Amino acid sequence: MNATLTTCPYCGTGCNFYLQSDVNGRLSGVEPAGKHPTSRGQLCIKGWNAHAFVDHPDRLTAPQLRRNGQLQITDWNSALDLLHDKLSGIAAQYGPDSLMFLSSAKVSNEENYLLMKLARAGYGTNNIDHCARLCHSSTVTGLVETLGSGAMTNSLSCFDETGLIFVIGSNTTEQHPLIGSRILNAVQRGARLIVADSRKIRLARHADLHLRQQNGSDVALLNGMMRQILQDGQEDTEFISQRTENFAALRQGVEKFTPEYVAQITGLPPEQIVSAARLFAQARRAMIVYAMGITQHSHGVDNVRAISNLALLTGNLGRPGTGVNPLRGQNNVQGACDMGALPDVYTGYQRVADPAARQKFSTAWGVQLPETPGLMATHAIEAAAAGQVRGMLILGENPMLSEANQGLVRKALERLDFLAVIDIFPTETTDLAELILPAACYAEKDGTFTSTERRVQRGRKALESPGAARPDWQILCALLQRCGLPAEYADPAEIMTETATLTPSYGGISYPRLEGMGLQWPCPDAEHPGTPILHREQFTRGKGRFSPVDYRPSAELPDADYPFLLNTGRTYFHWHTGSMTRRSHLLDREERQAFVEIHPADAKKHRIKERQQVKISSRRGTIAAAAQLTDRVPAGQVFIPFHFAEGAANALTNNALDPESGIPEFKVCAVRIEPC
Amino acid sequence: MLKQLTRSALEHLLQQTAADYRLQVPQRLADGTRQLAPYGSGELSLFGETPQRKPTSAFFPQTEPLLKIDSTGAVQLPAAAEKPLALFGLDAHDLHGIAFIDRFFSAAPADDVYLRQRTNALLIGLTGAAGPDQSFLPLSAGNCDIELIASNDHWLAVAYSETGEQLLEPFPDGDNDRLRALREETSSYRAIRPDSLQKASELLLHDRVPDDFWEAIAARCILCSGCNLACPTCTCFCLQDRQRADGTERSRVWDSCQLDAFMREASGHNPLGSEALRTRRRIHHKLAADPQRWGELGCVACGRCDRACPTGIGIFAVAEEIVKRYEKG
Ligand code: SF4
Ligand code: SF4
Repeated sequence: MNATLTTCPYCGTGCNFYLQSDVNGRLSGVEPAGKHPTSRGQLCIKGWNAHAFVDHPDRLTAPQLRRNGQLQITDWNSALDLLHDKLSGIAAQYGPDSLMFLSSAKVSNEENYLLMKLARAGYGTNNIDHCARLCHSSTVTGLVETLGSGAMTNSLSCFDETGLIFVIGSNTTEQHPLIGSRILNAVQRGARLIVADSRKIRLARHADLHLRQQNGSDVALLNGMMRQILQDGQEDTEFISQRTENFAALRQGVEKFTPEYVAQITGLPPEQIVSAARLFAQARRAMIVYAMGITQHSHGVDNVRAISNLALLTGNLGRPGTGVNPLRGQNNVQGACDMGALPDVYTGYQRVADPAARQKFSTAWGVQLPETPGLMATHAIEAAAAGQVRGMLILGENPMLSEANQGLVRKALERLDFLAVIDIFPTETTDLAELILPAACYAEKDGTFTSTERRVQRGRKALESPGAARPDWQILCALLQRCGLPAEYADPAEIMTETATLTPSYGGISYPRLEGMGLQWPCPDAEHPGTPILHREQFTRGKGRFSPVDYRPSAELPDADYPFLLNTGRTYFHWHTGSMTRRSHLLDREERQAFVEIHPADAKKHRIKERQQVKISSRRGTIAAAAQLTDRVPAGQVFIPFHFAEGAANALTNNALDPESGIPEFKVCAVRIEPC
Repeated sequence: MLKQLTRSALEHLLQQTAADYRLQVPQRLADGTRQLAPYGSGELSLFGETPQRKPTSAFFPQTEPLLKIDSTGAVQLPAAAEKPLALFGLDAHDLHGIAFIDRFFSAAPADDVYLRQRTNALLIGLTGAAGPDQSFLPLSAGNCDIELIASNDHWLAVAYSETGEQLLEPFPDGDNDRLRALREETSSYRAIRPDSLQKASELLLHDRVPDDFWEAIAARCILCSGCNLACPTCTCFCLQDRQRADGTERSRVWDSCQLDAFMREASGHNPLGSEALRTRRRIHHKLAADPQRWGELGCVACGRCDRACPTGIGIFAVAEEIVKRYEKG
């Protein structure tokens, strides 16, 4: 029985646990880290089962090449040579921007750094992105504009000090369970709770106020609350005058959002909007918590701006127990963004378009770097479908299930001249790949992950990877070398050392300093203790900027042909495309099949019974799923989780994109339902 | 047999034990968690809070291969371990927990998989001044092979089995008066279980806790399963089959009665289909069903589920709430 301390591979909360291994070196279980500030001896069901998929028989154990429709096992050298030849061949023939690199919020910081270096320095394109595009790209865009930094402003410990928590568009107890539990504990000790969510999520049972606004109407709700706060004279005038700019524009922007007007858009009673505003404004310390319910809209960036405006208006920034707190989804989605696995920035959000930043990276890497920002993941899919992107390397992502409009994604991936995927399991995306490379999973390698509260922490190797599977960083080093770039890193610690020299916010981060509980960035130098709360004295951008927004309806609303609003998301027991959780016995047992939540009144109208298979269709596709009759969804709405390949919610969703962040509208499209 | 050990004698005893056993000893791990780990793999931690992972996991691990069936249908059992296990550093609660599941797994029909690990294993208690900051831990009920009782700068060592006596043979005799004094201190110290557990048990047995109580408590359950997985007397497991190239491998995996599918029927119907029913069941099992079956509470008061529960509804918390609300007067 050995115990290896590591970071949970699932959500962005950043719990730490010990992987237990038996005398034969096999993983036998998980024990939460007792003194770690996030886990404190606790985990959610996914964490408690995080060892379970590691030795699943489906693990990829050898490089495989598809020839005449058949997968054949090949050796690493031939596989890597082929990969490099294909990518460089396409780049030479059609230009480097005909390549696309998709990185992963599941792999380490070091691996994200290497892949973005490979794309930019190795193959000469800024076409690199990852699944943050699908979750918090709206946050990064919106918060950089208003506050100067796109990350969670405060820390998880702030939940223990706050007076009020406003949760909007986050099913926290299911998606960030150990943050959800902090919210429940805060309520127990007397903090107030406002939940704004069309579904009756668990937190709603504990809320002082549950607002069930129509999906996609958040801007109206938030503007309405702000108008009311101004009407009541409850704004924080001192904070506004000393620390913000553009207030007059905000006042004007929210003027028309009277409770009655907001009620029409949101479907809420006008009094609820007034009560929410008053409850929120009265708190001396209020935290706003949000997630995909805010970001995944064709106006996701506007939603984020509205949230930021509300926090600025009430002075809820830069202090303990306050803040704009986007909860990042994947265990390393914060890190993948920090590492510059994005088309427009290098590490630490240094802009590709900034000649000085480009010069710095160019000098460090010893090559000329491309100037124009690259393609966002969602645009790259469109470009591939149109034949403009021809070669793609996907590291640990499964866009066939995770991107909106599966029909388009399939068309795009099938049209590529060459697709290579590095992953730990076969997925719906590896099914379309010409080359599949087997990777080590989180338990089989060292690295660092950055949690939602900007805490950089260690992942540690607990066992050997199966067969010929290799850590991603070694695969990427081998490719860098084939591109003629030096990549003789002895271990991931050396990669972090290089990253730290190029990244001001990670400047003080090194492996020895991460022992124990990690460090929260910004951590600019070796003596810096890390930063639990951002924007204390001043905002990262100087003054906080009010950025007024108007309400824009969602791209596709229910109509006579498609009368239901489809809401998509996740469930507690599964993780994203299910490649790990559906291979974990207990998690799989809890939820075994695709389902659709439908309100009992709607079910009755359409003669649908509990557990009956139903057909759900949108303008883009049709799937079947088992009906789950529940008043968790309001009448007129259905909810489908996107984990299940056999009933893929994203065959239905609309790839209407936010014009600024490129995020698809996962939370609103129109569908119809029929018994199968 | 009563002996007395110095620090170096203690080390000697451990070395000797490690020669014949897979010895697990308490260590302080990287984040400060205290846990049993292989002897020699890190620094020994001789006092502190109860090791976090339940010691019963040594005999009944979270995931445990049971057998493999190859393509001919032949069944192979996992290879037997070379040496039996020895656990050092068990306090009175943990010894009690092991005794509790020993009785459960040994009751007919006996669980041979458990006994495979447990038979011939050695248990070494560690009590006395061995708590956090060398605070006093009550002495055991003798349900171990050897009990080491920390006292000032040495350890009194009591053997409760023949193997224990053999291992302690070489060491000098201990002071019986000192042992008597420590035993007295134990009885005056505190009951091994807080009163609230017993009182809550009686209220439950007399059906004095209404359904809406369970609704309110269970509304806070986030279904992490930690309360069960952390509990040394929880013994439920489910089976996991995995098809590999060389056959089908069957393992058992810790299960949790807080989970929906624990009782869900193939039809989809679930007799325990709400968190309220399941939370009620969890507490009932420990405080009402176990006393009826075994004559004692199913909670050994180790505190692990109260620590593991992210929302504060471990068994102490729930028992206290029951007593507060429903005890007469
Ligand atoms: S809350 Fe998130 S990080 Fe913590 S155990 Fe659960 S999935 Fe892992
Ligand atoms: S530990 Fe608490 S939250 Fe987790 S399953 Fe048990 S009662 Fe529920």
